[in-house]
Amino acid sequence: MSFELRDHTADIAVAASGDSLAEVFASVADGLAAATCADVPDPDDCDSDRFSLAVAAESQEALLYDYLAALIYERDVRAVLPVDNEASIEESRTDDPEADAWHLDASARGVPLGVIDAREVKAVTYSEMAIEETVEGRRAYVVFDVLALLISPSDRR
Amino acid sequence: MTTYDADGITMQKVREHVWEIPQEGEMGAPARVLASEALLEEIADDRTLQQLTNATQLPGVQKQALCMPDGHQGYGFPVGGVAGIDAESGCISPGAVGFDINCGVRMVRTNLTYGDVEGKERELVEELFEAIPLGLGGGGVLETDVGTVEAVLERGVDWAREAGYATAEDLAHCEDEGRREEADADAVSGNAKDRGKDQLGSLGSGNHFLEVQRVTDVFRAEVADAYGLSEEDIVVLIHCGSRGLGHQVCTDYVRRIEETHPDLLDELPDKDLAAAPAGSDLAEEYYRAMGAAINFAWVNRQLITHRTRQAFEEVFDTDWGDLGMELLYDVAHNIAKKETHDIDGEDRELYVHRKGATRAFPAGRPEVPDAYREVGQPVIIPGSMGAGSYVLRGGEDSLEQTFGSTAHGAGRTMSRTQAKQDFWGEDVQDDLEGQQVYVKAQSGATIAEEAPDVYKDVDEVVRVSEALGIGDPVARTFPVCNIKG
Repeated sequence: MSFELRDHTADIAVAASGDSLAEVFASVADGLAAATCADVPDPDDCDSDRFSLAVAAESQEALLYDYLAALIYERDVRAVLPVDNEASIEESRTDDPEADAWHLDASARGVPLGVIDAREVKAVTYSEMAIEETVEGRRAYVVFDVLALLISPSDRR
Repeated sequence: MTTYDADGITMQKVREHVWEIPQEGEMGAPARVLASEALLEEIADDRTLQQLTNATQLPGVQKQALCMPDGHQGYGFPVGGVAGIDAESGCISPGAVGFDINCGVRMVRTNLTYGDVEGKERELVEELFEAIPLGLGGGGVLETDVGTVEAVLERGVDWAREAGYATAEDLAHCEDEGRREEADADAVSGNAKDRGKDQLGSLGSGNHFLEVQRVTDVFRAEVADAYGLSEEDIVVLIHCGSRGLGHQVCTDYVRRIEETHPDLLDELPDKDLAAAPAGSDLAEEYYRAMGAAINFAWVNRQLITHRTRQAFEEVFDTDWGDLGMELLYDVAHNIAKKETHDIDGEDRELYVHRKGATRAFPAGRPEVPDAYREVGQPVIIPGSMGAGSYVLRGGEDSLEQTFGSTAHGAGRTMSRTQAKQDFWGEDVQDDLEGQQVYVKAQSGATIAEEAPDVYKDVDEVVRVSEALGIGDPVARTFPVCNIKG
């Protein structure tokens, strides 16, 4: 389970890997946190509660998009950086073609934005998104639309 | 015929600064890049050309899909991209607008000169930094409730006027008088409103900034006079957008379009070009939601203007009205609008998508405010911290060539990661102070990521714009102090 940040002219990409789909999704989420903050503090050292979220979608790509979009939403409304991400994924098979086939339950610990240097990730994109299965495991690649700014807590209003 | 090959794509030189990718294969129309050879080399260095070619596959693209001189790779649709798409038989694409709906710029005049500000730069930058909320989690001028957000979404700057944050003159000098009539708060999701309610009146981050500038050059005296600009004048430039609310609107509609119109999406080469067919319920709903986010962004910039006026009052111990702090103009550069354009001799209504491109209407066009209709619409082109910015007017040939559009800035040419490897923030800050530019930095990395050298040459961007007749330089400004943003 790992990720790395990749260059993109205006934006930032995360390349992640893991043994399972759930692991690689959580790795991308950790990559999102790293793209937001270059030096994520240990959540045990700050007031960071774990919170849960769930999304469902029609495909793996849509599920990843919705999961990351949900984390960005939670970041803004909770004013925390979601870190230490955990996820589980189930594929449900029904006869209903309208039903969402993929379900994700996830949790993260929220590090208060007030204690970190944060760059603003605007949104997840589908651009160049890839989810692959290789002999070494699962891989995913996601480009994030970024506004880059690092704010030191001491400089906040 | 002169050609230019890059990324497996051959462009033909149509005339000076105009390069065409002929229509072939799956392309729905030709594509054109408006650039000098120097700018073209930078544009061709990433996936911009492929993304521009992909954009021609959106149904209903008229004439050509265009890349402005400051274009660079985006997601789906290139930044600096312009597409006029038939509003009856074509489509509307949230990805061709961008996540930051109505990201844009406004310029506020003052009756101060550079001599009035000299010696007070540090005090001014500290006061502005204290007054203007910025960055992730930094709150807003207003941290309010959903009901207020809905009023803002519906009424735009008119809401700000009633609430005491704007004047009637502010409305008169804003694109569309600061209000999109079709805006509908009900088309905006609860999640978007939740994200927006604590961010109203905040600068955001990255390349978003507030800059106090001095007018260093006037190129067209008559037009500058109409805009109220003279050499040595102090102006304030504000660059930001619709914050998390606008980002959420785009995210929501990309997914809804994906679910509702999969057949159209299957025909497109990139999911981030997701588009709703013109005339569909979802196209109309997105247009109303986008209009609401546009209103939100205008109010966002208006509230920052309000705080800027208060900061100047504090520093200069003078009422802002007496400082002449009037809005010169506010114009979007991430937007899609229904506009009527001449297509093969007939007026046709188009969704003109401008993503990282600025409307640049010439004199006489009815959408240009009364105050500027005889000289042409102001176009504000922010540059990088060290290179200064420009005020243009819409060029006479813009309607014919670019659906009335020009560039939106210097355009990024180096990734943020590379920038941090190549520059130290403190060195950049020291270099800028050597040029009498005071930057209030949240961190060295911020300044490094936005260092002047990571952007294209704004002078060259403006030179090409003028040579093509799509935007005429009126004045040049140089930074005095900058908060990022």
